[in-house]
This record gives sequence, structure tokens and C-alpha cells, in this order.
Amino acid sequence: MNTKAREKSQIKVITGNAAAAIAAKLARPDVVAAYPITPQTEIIEQISQFHANGEMDCELITVEGENSAMNAVTAACLAGGRVFTATSSWGLAFMYDAVLATAGARAPVVMVNVNRETPGIIAVSSGQQDMISTRDAGWIFLIAEDCQEVLDLVLQAYRLAEDYDIQVPVMVHYDGFYLSYLSEGVNVPFQEDVDQFLSVLKDQPERTKLLPGSGLGCGSHGILGGYMELRYKHVSAMERAKAKFNEIDKEYEAIFGRGYGGLVEEYRMADADVVLVGSGSMCGTIKTVIDTKREAGVKVGLLKMRMYRPFPSEAMIAALKGKKAIGVVDRSLCFGFKGGPIYTELKAFETQLGGSKMISFIDGIANTDITITNVEQMIDTTCDLAEGKDVREVTWVSYPEAQEDGGL
Amino acid sequence: MTEKKKGKLTKVLDHLKHEDPFSKGVAFCPGCGLELLARFIPQVLGNDIVITGTPSCSAPVLLGQNNQSWHKLAYYGTLMTGAAANATGLARYYRKAGIDNTVVCFNGDGTAADIGFGNLSGAAERNEPFLYICYDNEGYMNTGIQKSGTTPFGATTTTTPYGKTSKGKNLRRMNLALKMAMHKIPYAATATLSDLDDLAKKLLKAKEATKRGFAFLHIFTPCTTGWGFAPEDTIEVCRRAVKTNYFPLWEAVNGKIRMTKTVKKPKPISTYTELSKKFVHLTKEDHQILQDDVDYEFCMLGGLSALEGECQLPVSSED
Repeated sequence: MNTKAREKSQIKVITGNAAAAIAAKLARPDVVAAYPITPQTEIIEQISQFHANGEMDCELITVEGENSAMNAVTAACLAGGRVFTATSSWGLAFMYDAVLATAGARAPVVMVNVNRETPGIIAVSSGQQDMISTRDAGWIFLIAEDCQEVLDLVLQAYRLAEDYDIQVPVMVHYDGFYLSYLSEGVNVPFQEDVDQFLSVLKDQPERTKLLPGSGLGCGSHGILGGYMELRYKHVSAMERAKAKFNEIDKEYEAIFGRGYGGLVEEYRMADADVVLVGSGSMCGTIKTVIDTKREAGVKVGLLKMRMYRPFPSEAMIAALKGKKAIGVVDRSLCFGFKGGPIYTELKAFETQLGGSKMISFIDGIANTDITITNVEQMIDTTCDLAEGKDVREVTWVSYPEAQEDGGL
Repeated sequence: MTEKKKGKLTKVLDHLKHEDPFSKGVAFCPGCGLELLARFIPQVLGNDIVITGTPSCSAPVLLGQNNQSWHKLAYYGTLMTGAAANATGLARYYRKAGIDNTVVCFNGDGTAADIGFGNLSGAAERNEPFLYICYDNEGYMNTGIQKSGTTPFGATTTTTPYGKTSKGKNLRRMNLALKMAMHKIPYAATATLSDLDDLAKKLLKAKEATKRGFAFLHIFTPCTTGWGFAPEDTIEVCRRAVKTNYFPLWEAVNGKIRMTKTVKKPKPISTYTELSKKFVHLTKEDHQILQDDVDYEFCMLGGLSALEGECQLPVSSED
């Protein structure tokens, strides 16, 4: 991250949830609908307080469930409004039909999903399984590493979702518990700068709005002739979102002094032989360990995914091509495959990577910490792979029993 | 007699101040009560309503088919699970943007009473500013006549078929309209197609009430195909439903419940059931169970409406 000191923002020590709430407020949404769920609740509490204080001029809908939250913001969005909602885990699952409909309607909704596990009601713990379970819904997925990036990504999400050439809903993900309740210093931009950043959207052609008396309709019943066309256009818009996001990130840096490299952030990658691929809060730990390893002469780098859908394959191939070995760290599972979801998807580009060897690390699910020791082990194992040693394809880092059992 | 009939008709026609936005031939069954209702609503309320709905019998006509629409209204097709929440989103955005609007969330009983009841109840509790209309044909007609929460005792459907161990639906229907009135909303009412003057007045009152919040209309809308009565008997089925107190007509204005039509000598329920094949297997004893249910609901309604004058929600000074 390239941080330039600017007088145009103030530093506040706030949680990831507060950063999301403040970003939502700065985006001036017309309609916010939300329902409480751990670890997201603080976002809607803060927004409710902003609203109560008269600091946030929006229609606030305190719905009776997440399904209604997504339906309400989708309709408000198609009517012409800017909208916001937030959820997590079971909440995301409960709104799943609406999540699909939102994407199908190309409603540029912005939602924060605070990642949490979904195996049982007792799993009030971090993990990206909720994100993985909705990856084919047709939304754009962005992932934040720290509280600052939470705020920045929410603002960038509005520019991306509502862009006339995109018009696809965006979900901003960050790790529950690790970021939701972690307080750190966050540069909070001033309203006029955010207004300037978002004003680009006002100069674009107006998107179609469902207004009374317009004679327009949406959500038609049984589109036999147009369905293939709509789906093709949706997939095309997802492809366009990659370059657009890079542009938006650059514009954001020009105004706020913070740029992240767009789709992926490369950390000490230029001369790296060995690379870890990661996403979310784990990247902070990985960067720290990389610095230590570098001092010991290990040429290791990190490729951080900031966008997960669309899969930024071109940017990842460009950054990873020719590397000796790649270890992909997944905070979720891909049932039916041995390796993690991101690993499995990156494997599809193995030939384009020019012979780089790849392995999968499963770690950090259900609140197990991805510790410095764990990351050291991942780097060491990936180095072993680079040196041609026999290394198992999938390692459950915090669960050695998986390996003792014969492993995957 | 002829004079009186003319007078009644003129009264109804006087309510039709706006054009029929539908094309002349639409894809409903002959004798469909829903078609009459769908054409009636915008002629009374205006063509600038935004109509929202879900997959159902009404969907092909109300929500467009292929790239075409059967009418000139602004419409929004959505999921049964979230019908009222979508209407909420529209109405709230229009309010925020200062756009004058009447959002009509128009759904069958499957959405209103079953899968979408949670968010219907939520929207009513929050007093959201739109009109929710349930056209009740007592089951899932579009998917081929399945049982819903408003299917009455004894009715055959494809999921409550008559057989050796079954008399059709072996459960009593829920009273959706009273449930909604208990949400303390500005307006709730029942209506049906045999009493169009009453229906038109209630539509207009409901539209007016959306300025203060949530309005709910429960409209008894028989289905010739699903219930097995002759297409020309649709209105007669409605008439008899009212005359037997099977479907009493009432309204609740700011929580004040009153009958809008009093039936002096209610007919036995068999005069209603005899028109529809869905009840053809019912014995005398079965009829008594259905009659008892009708009597119970009417008794409860009688008790509530008897409190007229002393039982009313506080009305704000703005009203």
C-alpha cells in the first residue's frame, strides 16, 4: 500500500465494522436496509445512530430478516436509488434467492459481507466459506485486508457497481472477528473528497429507472428470447469490471493518496522465486513473515487478491508467471476437491503459469489463527516444493492429524 | 328490478375514471376472476401505479412475457419470498426522491399467506407506505392447484386429494385479513368481485391510507379451473361466499373494524360449496365442520366489529 500523508483526512481509531459504516455514510445512500447478525451487527448499529443523529439522510429499513434486506435494497436500486446493506454467514444464505435475483436484474447494490463460517449455528467464527458459497451468484467480490481497506473498498465498490458500463452488484468481504472487531488507525476521508470521487457517476448516462407512469417493467416472466443475451451481457460486464477496477483504484489514489495496485496487490514479488497467494486479514501476517524470511535470504513474495469475482486470472498470471513454486492459502473449503477453492481455480491456469509448481494450504477456518509459525511453515513447504522435494498437494496447516492420516 | 340493476352498474362505472391499461386479449383462463380484478384496479386507482408481483397466475399477464408486456403499467416482477420487501424498497426510494407514487404489491395467497407472509408481516409492522393486495384463489393455481394456508377445510387440491384416508384438506384455513388487521395498520379490508362498488371504494380508501402507511386488501378471487365451477359462475361463487358469511365484507380504518355489508339471513354453507367440484365429496358431517369454521370466524369478527366506536387506534394530528 502506498500511503502519502495528506491533510485531507483525519485518522480515527475504529473497528472494521465502523469503517464500513462510515464508508456507507460517506457514499450518501438513498436507502439502507439491514438486519443484525454477528459479526456484522455493529455496522447497522452505527448507521442507525448516524440516522438518528440526522447525519445520514437515507431511508432506513429495519427489516425482519436478511431476505427482506436484499429484496428491499434491490427494488430501491432498480427504482433509481443508491443503496447499502450488510450481512454475514447465515444472513447471506438466507438472502440467497434474492442475491441471485439482484445480480440477474443487474442492480448495482453494494453490500458488505463480514466473513463467517457456516457449518452449524455454533460456528460463530471467522472463515470465508460464506463468500465461497455465493461465488457463482454473478456478483463482483472484493476482499479487504485491514480496516483502512474496508473503508476504501466500500467507496470503490460504489464506483464499480454503479458504473454505466458495469452495473453489477458488488460485495465487499472482510474477515469477521479479525477485522470486524479490530480497532486500528483509519484515515477517514472528508465528505467533499468522497463526493468528488463519486461525482464521476453523475456525468455518465443515467441508468434505466423503474418509475411510476413510465410503462417500464423489470423482472419479466419467462424471457425466452432474451435470456441468453442477458446472461452473455452480464458475463461480459464482469470481464470489463477488471480493467475498470484498476482505473478506479488509480483515481482513488490520486484523490486520497492510497492505492493498492488494483485487482491484486503484489508484495515483494519482483524478484521472488516462491510466492504465497492469499486474501483478507491473513495478508498482514504473511507480509510480516515475508520481511523476516527476506532478511534470511529467502526470496519470497505475496500475491494478495483484492478481487475474487471476476477471477483476476490475467493479473495473477502476469504476477506469478515463471515463479518456481506457489502456495495458495485458502480460508475455506471446496467440497469435492482436495484443495482450497482459490487453489483449485488457480490450477486451471497452470499451463499459462509456465511450469510453476502449486500447492494448497487450508488454514484459518473457524477462527483458527493463521499465526506467524503457520505462515513460516507454509513458506518453508513452498520452498521445499521449489527445490523439487516431495511435498503433499494439500496441507491442513493447523490440523496436523490430517497429514498423519495419510493426508489428501 | 331492471332500474335498480342499472343504478348499481352506474355506481360501479363511476369509479372507473382511468383507462384499462391491458390489451384486449390476455392469457388468463375464460371466467378468471383474477383478470376482472387486474383490469379493475388500474381503472380505479390510475395507470400511474407501480405494480409488483411474483411468479403466479398473474405473472405472465402482469409481469410481461418474453420481451413484451400485456399492459402499460410500470411493473416489477420479483420472488415470492420477498414480495412485500421489494414493494418496501420501491416505496421508500420514491419517498426519499420525492416521487409521488402508489406501489401496489399484488400477490396470490401462496405468497401472502404462506411463503411471503414473514415479510408481509414485517412491512405491516413497519407501516411501510404501500398497498398490498392479496387476490385469494385459495391455493397454488399456477403450479397446478396445490393447497395453501387459505385453502378451506375439505377442499381437494393436488396435494390434499380426496382418497381413502383423506377428505381433501383436513385443516382449517387461516384468516389472513384479520391477521393483517391485527398489525394496527391504517387500513385493512376484505372485498370480492360480486360487490364491485364496495371493492372500488375500498381500493380508493386503501390508496389514500398509503399516505399514512400500510394498506392491505384481501380480495376473494375464485378460480374456475382450480375449483371446478363453470366459467360463467365466477361472480355467483363470490356472491354466495358473501351470502353464506364464508367471506364476509368488512374494513378496519385505523383499527376500527366495521362490516361493510351485513347479511340478514346467512345461507347454509352448502349453497356455496355446491357450485365447486372441489367440495363435491363432502358429506353432511364434513359440511358441518366447514360450517362451524365459518361460524367461528364470523363470530369473532362480530365481536370485533361490535366494538366500533370505542375500539380505535390513536390517530395522529396529521390525519
